[in-house]
Amino acid sequence: MKIASQDKAKARRGRHSEQVILFSAGARTFAIAADAVQEIRSTDSLADAAVEMAQADVPKVRHLVERRGRTYFVVNAGAHFGLRVTRPTLVLILRQIRVAVLVDNIERMVEIGAVHSLPKAFEGAEKSWYRGLAYLDDCVIPVIHPAGFLTAEEFARLDVAARSAEAEQPLEGAVER
Amino acid sequence: MSAAAMSGRGAFVLLRVGDSRFALPSENVVELAPPVRLHEFPHESKFVAGVIVRRGRIVPVYDVAPLLTGRSSTVHRFYLVAWLALATGPEASAIPVTGECELASGEVLPRHADDPNYFAGKLLLEDGPVDIVNFESLVAAGSAKAFAQEVRP
Repeated sequence: MKIASQDKAKARRGRHSEQVILFSAGARTFAIAADAVQEIRSTDSLADAAVEMAQADVPKVRHLVERRGRTYFVVNAGAHFGLRVTRPTLVLILRQIRVAVLVDNIERMVEIGAVHSLPKAFEGAEKSWYRGLAYLDDCVIPVIHPAGFLTAEEFARLDVAARSAEAEQPLEGAVER
Repeated sequence: MSAAAMSGRGAFVLLRVGDSRFALPSENVVELAPPVRLHEFPHESKFVAGVIVRRGRIVPVYDVAPLLTGRSSTVHRFYLVAWLALATGPEASAIPVTGECELASGEVLPRHADDPNYFAGKLLLEDGPVDIVNFESLVAAGSAKAFAQEVRP
Protein backbone atom coordinates (compact mmCIF):
# COMPACT_ATOMS: atom_id res chain seq x y z
CA MET A 1 0.00 0.00 0.00
CA LYS A 2 2.77 2.36 0.87
CA ILE A 3 4.50 1.72 -2.44
CA ALA A 4 1.28 2.20 -4.36
CA SER A 5 0.62 5.57 -2.76
CA GLN A 6 4.17 6.65 -3.54
CA ASP A 7 3.67 5.62 -7.14
CA LYS A 8 0.44 7.59 -7.27
CA ALA A 9 2.22 10.65 -5.92
CA LYS A 10 4.96 10.25 -8.49
CA ALA A 11 2.42 9.87 -11.29
CA ARG A 12 0.61 12.96 -10.10
CA ARG A 13 3.84 14.90 -10.01
CA GLY A 14 4.83 13.52 -13.41
CA ARG A 15 1.53 14.48 -15.01
CA HIS A 16 1.74 18.14 -14.06
CA SER A 17 5.41 18.91 -13.67
CA GLU A 18 8.02 19.55 -16.27
CA GLN A 19 11.79 19.93 -16.30
CA VAL A 20 12.86 23.26 -17.70
CA ILE A 21 16.14 25.03 -18.26
CA LEU A 22 16.25 28.59 -16.98
CA PHE A 23 18.46 30.80 -19.12
CA SER A 24 19.11 34.50 -19.34
CA ALA A 25 19.31 36.83 -22.30
CA GLY A 26 19.57 40.60 -22.12
CA ALA A 27 19.22 40.50 -18.31
CA ARG A 28 15.88 38.64 -18.52
CA THR A 29 15.17 35.08 -17.45
CA PHE A 30 13.33 32.59 -19.63
CA ALA A 31 12.45 28.91 -19.34
CA ILE A 32 12.59 26.29 -22.04
CA ALA A 33 11.54 22.66 -21.75
CA ALA A 34 14.63 20.56 -21.10
CA ASP A 35 13.51 17.97 -23.63
CA ALA A 36 13.37 20.66 -26.33
CA VAL A 37 17.13 21.17 -26.01
CA GLN A 38 19.51 18.70 -27.64
CA GLU A 39 22.77 20.13 -26.36
CA ILE A 40 24.28 23.19 -24.77
CA ARG A 41 27.61 24.40 -26.07
CA SER A 42 29.83 27.36 -25.43
CA THR A 43 30.06 29.87 -28.28
CA ASP A 44 33.84 29.30 -28.33
CA SER A 45 33.45 25.57 -28.92
CA LEU A 46 31.17 26.18 -31.91
CA ALA A 47 33.19 29.01 -33.43
CA ASP A 48 34.93 26.73 -35.94
CA ALA A 49 31.65 25.15 -37.05
CA ALA A 50 29.84 28.44 -37.52
CA VAL A 51 29.36 29.93 -40.97
CA GLU A 52 28.65 33.65 -41.18
CA MET A 53 25.57 34.57 -43.19
CA ALA A 54 25.59 37.91 -44.97
CA GLN A 55 21.84 38.44 -45.07
CA ALA A 56 19.73 41.25 -43.69
CA ASP A 57 16.29 39.70 -44.06
CA VAL A 58 16.36 38.11 -40.62
CA PRO A 59 18.66 40.33 -38.54
CA LYS A 60 18.50 38.12 -35.44
CA VAL A 61 20.31 35.36 -37.39
CA ARG A 62 23.94 35.99 -38.28
CA HIS A 63 25.34 32.46 -38.41
CA LEU A 64 24.49 28.87 -39.15
CA VAL A 65 26.11 25.79 -37.69
CA GLU A 66 26.29 22.27 -39.06
CA ARG A 67 25.63 19.58 -36.47
CA ARG A 68 25.40 15.91 -37.39
CA GLY A 69 24.47 16.68 -40.99
CA ARG A 70 21.81 19.25 -40.10
CA THR A 71 21.96 22.97 -40.58
CA TYR A 72 20.91 25.05 -37.58
CA PHE A 73 20.22 28.75 -37.79
CA VAL A 74 21.70 30.61 -34.85
CA VAL A 75 19.14 33.01 -33.36
CA ASN A 76 20.36 35.69 -30.97
CA ALA A 77 17.81 35.47 -28.14
CA GLY A 78 18.37 39.10 -27.13
CA ALA A 79 17.61 40.32 -30.65
CA HIS A 80 14.65 37.95 -30.94
CA PHE A 81 13.01 39.34 -27.81
CA GLY A 82 13.94 42.95 -28.58
CA LEU A 83 16.32 43.19 -25.64
CA ARG A 84 19.60 44.98 -25.13
CA VAL A 85 22.17 43.07 -27.16
CA THR A 86 24.77 41.50 -24.93
CA ARG A 87 27.66 39.14 -25.54
CA PRO A 88 26.19 35.63 -25.47
CA THR A 89 28.41 32.88 -24.15
CA LEU A 90 26.28 29.77 -24.72
CA VAL A 91 24.33 28.15 -27.51
CA LEU A 92 21.24 26.01 -26.96
CA ILE A 93 20.89 23.62 -29.87
CA LEU A 94 17.24 22.66 -30.11
CA ARG A 95 16.04 19.14 -30.66
CA GLN A 96 13.08 19.24 -33.06
CA ILE A 97 13.76 22.51 -34.84
CA ARG A 98 16.73 23.65 -36.90
CA VAL A 99 17.44 26.47 -34.50
CA ALA A 100 20.33 27.15 -32.14
CA VAL A 101 19.81 29.95 -29.64
CA LEU A 102 22.50 32.31 -28.42
CA VAL A 103 21.97 33.04 -24.72
CA ASP A 104 23.94 34.87 -22.06
CA ASN A 105 23.87 32.26 -19.36
CA ILE A 106 22.23 29.12 -18.03
CA GLU A 107 20.88 29.75 -14.55
CA ARG A 108 19.74 26.25 -13.58
CA MET A 109 17.51 23.33 -14.38
CA VAL A 110 14.32 23.14 -12.39
CA GLU A 111 10.98 21.36 -12.22
CA ILE A 112 7.93 23.57 -12.70
CA GLY A 113 4.47 22.61 -11.55
CA ALA A 114 2.36 24.22 -14.22
CA VAL A 115 2.51 26.44 -17.26
CA HIS A 116 -0.18 29.12 -17.07
CA SER A 117 -1.69 30.34 -20.33
CA LEU A 118 -0.43 33.68 -21.52
CA PRO A 119 -3.17 36.19 -20.62
CA LYS A 120 -5.36 37.22 -23.54
CA ALA A 121 -4.17 40.79 -23.02
CA PHE A 122 -0.99 39.85 -24.84
CA GLU A 123 -1.72 40.19 -28.53
CA GLY A 124 1.67 40.72 -30.14
CA ALA A 125 4.46 38.44 -31.31
CA GLU A 126 4.75 37.15 -27.73
CA LYS A 127 1.83 34.84 -28.51
CA SER A 128 4.18 32.84 -30.71
CA TRP A 129 7.25 33.37 -28.52
CA TYR A 130 5.78 31.83 -25.37
CA ARG A 131 3.90 28.65 -24.50
CA GLY A 132 2.81 30.35 -21.33
CA LEU A 133 4.08 31.60 -17.99
CA ALA A 134 5.54 29.76 -15.03
CA TYR A 135 5.41 31.01 -11.46
CA LEU A 136 8.60 30.02 -9.76
CA ASP A 137 10.23 31.33 -6.57
CA ASP A 138 7.97 34.39 -6.55
CA CYS A 139 8.87 35.18 -10.15
CA VAL A 140 6.81 34.94 -13.31
CA ILE A 141 8.97 33.47 -16.04
CA PRO A 142 7.96 33.13 -19.69
CA VAL A 143 8.17 29.57 -20.98
CA ILE A 144 9.55 29.57 -24.50
CA HIS A 145 7.73 28.05 -27.42
CA PRO A 146 10.71 26.57 -29.35
CA ALA A 147 8.92 26.83 -32.70
CA GLY A 148 8.47 30.57 -32.11
CA PHE A 149 12.07 31.52 -32.76
CA LEU A 150 11.66 31.48 -36.55
CA THR A 151 8.57 31.52 -38.72
CA ALA A 152 8.19 29.26 -41.75
CA GLU A 153 8.76 32.30 -43.93
CA GLU A 154 11.98 33.17 -42.09
CA PHE A 155 13.18 29.57 -42.46
CA ALA A 156 12.54 29.76 -46.20
CA ARG A 157 14.49 33.01 -46.53
CA LEU A 158 17.33 31.68 -44.39
CA ASP A 159 17.50 28.45 -46.41
CA VAL A 160 18.08 30.53 -49.53
CA ALA A 161 20.72 32.61 -47.76
CA ALA A 162 22.33 29.47 -46.34
CA ARG A 163 22.74 27.94 -49.77
CA SER A 164 24.58 31.00 -51.03
CA ALA A 165 26.66 31.21 -47.83
CA GLU A 166 27.69 27.58 -48.19
CA ALA A 167 28.44 28.07 -51.89
CA GLU A 168 30.75 30.96 -51.06
CA GLN A 169 32.69 29.01 -48.45
CA PRO A 170 34.77 26.75 -50.77
CA LEU A 171 35.40 29.68 -53.12
CA GLU A 172 36.81 31.74 -50.29
CA GLY A 173 39.07 28.86 -49.37
CA ALA A 174 40.22 28.45 -52.97
CA VAL A 175 41.46 32.02 -53.28
CA GLU A 176 45.25 32.12 -53.37
CA ARG A 177 46.85 34.43 -50.91
CA MET B 1 -22.42 48.70 -17.93
CA SER B 2 -25.45 47.07 -16.40
CA ALA B 3 -29.01 47.99 -17.25
CA ALA B 4 -29.32 49.61 -13.83
CA ALA B 5 -26.31 51.79 -14.39
CA MET B 6 -27.39 52.74 -17.90
CA SER B 7 -30.87 53.60 -16.74
CA GLY B 8 -29.68 56.37 -14.50
CA ARG B 9 -28.37 54.96 -11.21
CA GLY B 10 -25.94 52.25 -10.30
CA ALA B 11 -23.19 51.18 -7.94
CA PHE B 12 -19.66 52.16 -8.87
CA VAL B 13 -16.17 51.80 -7.50
CA LEU B 14 -14.34 55.12 -7.38
CA LEU B 15 -10.68 54.82 -8.21
CA ARG B 16 -7.87 57.31 -8.31
CA VAL B 17 -5.33 57.37 -11.13
CA GLY B 18 -2.74 60.10 -10.69
CA ASP B 19 -4.66 63.09 -9.33
CA SER B 20 -7.91 62.21 -11.06
CA ARG B 21 -10.93 60.18 -9.98
CA PHE B 22 -12.81 57.78 -12.19
CA ALA B 23 -15.68 55.36 -11.69
CA LEU B 24 -16.01 51.75 -12.75
CA PRO B 25 -19.25 49.74 -12.50
CA SER B 26 -18.93 47.75 -9.28
CA GLU B 27 -20.35 44.60 -10.86
CA ASN B 28 -17.14 44.31 -12.92
CA VAL B 29 -14.77 44.70 -9.99
CA VAL B 30 -13.11 41.60 -8.56
CA GLU B 31 -10.95 43.08 -5.79
CA LEU B 32 -8.61 45.82 -4.71
CA ALA B 33 -5.21 44.13 -4.54
CA PRO B 34 -2.29 45.29 -2.40
CA PRO B 35 0.86 46.62 -4.08
CA VAL B 36 2.19 43.21 -5.04
CA ARG B 37 5.15 42.78 -7.32
CA LEU B 38 4.68 43.69 -10.99
CA HIS B 39 6.35 41.02 -13.10
CA GLU B 40 7.71 42.18 -16.44
CA PHE B 41 8.99 40.19 -19.39
CA PRO B 42 9.57 40.99 -23.06
CA HIS B 43 6.43 41.45 -25.13
CA GLU B 44 5.01 43.70 -27.83
CA SER B 45 1.66 44.60 -26.27
CA LYS B 46 2.71 48.11 -25.25
CA PHE B 47 -0.43 48.94 -23.28
CA VAL B 48 0.27 46.03 -20.94
CA ALA B 49 2.72 46.94 -18.17
CA GLY B 50 3.24 43.37 -16.95
CA VAL B 51 1.43 40.86 -14.79
CA ILE B 52 0.68 40.37 -11.11
CA VAL B 53 -0.13 37.12 -9.34
CA ARG B 54 -3.39 37.04 -7.38
CA ARG B 55 -4.75 33.90 -5.73
CA GLY B 56 -2.71 31.66 -7.98
CA ARG B 57 -3.89 33.43 -11.10
CA ILE B 58 -1.75 35.51 -13.43
CA VAL B 59 -3.43 38.86 -14.04
CA PRO B 60 -2.35 41.31 -16.75
CA VAL B 61 -1.85 44.93 -15.70
CA TYR B 62 -2.82 47.73 -18.08
CA ASP B 63 -0.87 50.99 -17.98
CA VAL B 64 -3.91 53.26 -18.16
CA ALA B 65 -2.48 56.42 -16.55
CA PRO B 66 -1.06 58.02 -19.74
CA LEU B 67 -4.40 57.63 -21.50
CA LEU B 68 -6.61 58.68 -18.58
CA THR B 69 -4.50 61.49 -17.16
CA GLY B 70 -2.11 62.37 -19.98
CA ARG B 71 0.98 61.35 -18.06
CA SER B 72 2.63 58.30 -16.59
CA SER B 73 1.98 57.63 -12.96
CA THR B 74 5.01 56.22 -11.20
CA VAL B 75 3.24 56.15 -7.84
CA HIS B 76 0.60 53.51 -7.43
CA ARG B 77 -0.37 51.89 -4.21
CA PHE B 78 -2.88 49.26 -5.24
CA TYR B 79 -4.21 47.32 -8.18
CA LEU B 80 -7.89 47.33 -8.97
CA VAL B 81 -8.75 43.97 -10.52
CA ALA B 82 -11.85 43.91 -12.72
CA TRP B 83 -13.38 41.67 -15.35
CA LEU B 84 -12.61 42.71 -18.89
CA ALA B 85 -14.79 41.34 -21.68
CA LEU B 86 -12.45 40.60 -24.58
CA ALA B 87 -13.46 39.18 -27.95
CA THR B 88 -11.86 35.91 -26.87
CA GLY B 89 -13.68 35.83 -23.51
CA PRO B 90 -13.59 37.53 -20.12
CA GLU B 91 -10.30 38.05 -18.32
CA ALA B 92 -9.54 39.40 -14.86
CA SER B 93 -7.34 42.42 -15.50
CA ALA B 94 -5.71 45.02 -13.29
CA ILE B 95 -5.31 48.79 -13.29
CA PRO B 96 -2.69 50.47 -11.06
CA VAL B 97 -4.43 52.97 -8.80
CA THR B 98 -2.89 55.64 -6.60
CA GLY B 99 -5.16 55.37 -3.61
CA GLU B 100 -7.81 53.32 -1.95
CA CYS B 101 -11.08 52.81 -3.75
CA GLU B 102 -14.58 53.41 -2.44
CA LEU B 103 -18.09 52.42 -3.38
CA ALA B 104 -20.40 55.15 -4.60
CA SER B 105 -23.73 55.51 -6.28
CA GLY B 106 -25.45 58.44 -7.82
CA GLU B 107 -27.17 59.75 -10.88
CA VAL B 108 -25.57 58.80 -14.19
CA LEU B 109 -25.52 61.26 -17.07
CA PRO B 110 -24.76 60.22 -20.63
CA ARG B 111 -21.34 61.08 -21.95
CA HIS B 112 -20.73 64.30 -23.87
CA ALA B 113 -20.17 63.98 -27.59
CA ASP B 114 -16.66 65.45 -27.09
CA ASP B 115 -15.65 62.92 -24.44
CA PRO B 116 -13.38 60.04 -25.43
CA ASN B 117 -15.39 56.92 -26.21
CA TYR B 118 -13.82 55.09 -23.27
CA PHE B 119 -15.97 57.20 -20.97
CA ALA B 120 -19.47 55.77 -20.68
CA GLY B 121 -20.95 58.79 -18.93
CA LYS B 122 -20.64 60.87 -15.78
CA LEU B 123 -21.47 59.86 -12.26
CA LEU B 124 -22.88 62.79 -10.34
CA LEU B 125 -21.57 62.93 -6.78
CA GLU B 126 -21.90 65.60 -4.10
CA ASP B 127 -18.37 66.83 -4.71
CA GLY B 128 -18.67 66.88 -8.50
CA PRO B 129 -19.01 64.67 -11.55
CA VAL B 130 -16.71 61.71 -12.15
CA ASP B 131 -16.07 60.09 -15.53
CA ILE B 132 -17.32 56.52 -15.76
CA VAL B 133 -14.78 54.30 -17.46
CA ASN B 134 -15.79 51.69 -20.00
CA PHE B 135 -12.94 49.25 -19.35
CA GLU B 136 -13.26 47.46 -22.69
CA SER B 137 -13.20 50.71 -24.71
CA LEU B 138 -10.33 52.02 -22.58
CA VAL B 139 -8.19 48.96 -23.33
CA ALA B 140 -9.09 49.09 -27.00
CA ALA B 141 -8.16 52.79 -27.17
CA GLY B 142 -4.93 52.25 -25.21
CA SER B 143 -3.86 49.35 -27.39
CA ALA B 144 -4.63 51.28 -30.57
CA LYS B 145 -2.73 54.33 -29.32
CA ALA B 146 0.28 52.23 -28.29
CA PHE B 147 0.27 50.55 -31.69
CA ALA B 148 0.04 53.90 -33.49
CA GLN B 149 2.99 55.26 -31.50
CA GLU B 150 4.98 52.14 -32.28
CA VAL B 151 4.49 52.32 -36.05
CA ARG B 152 4.93 56.09 -36.24
CA PRO B 153 8.12 56.79 -38.26
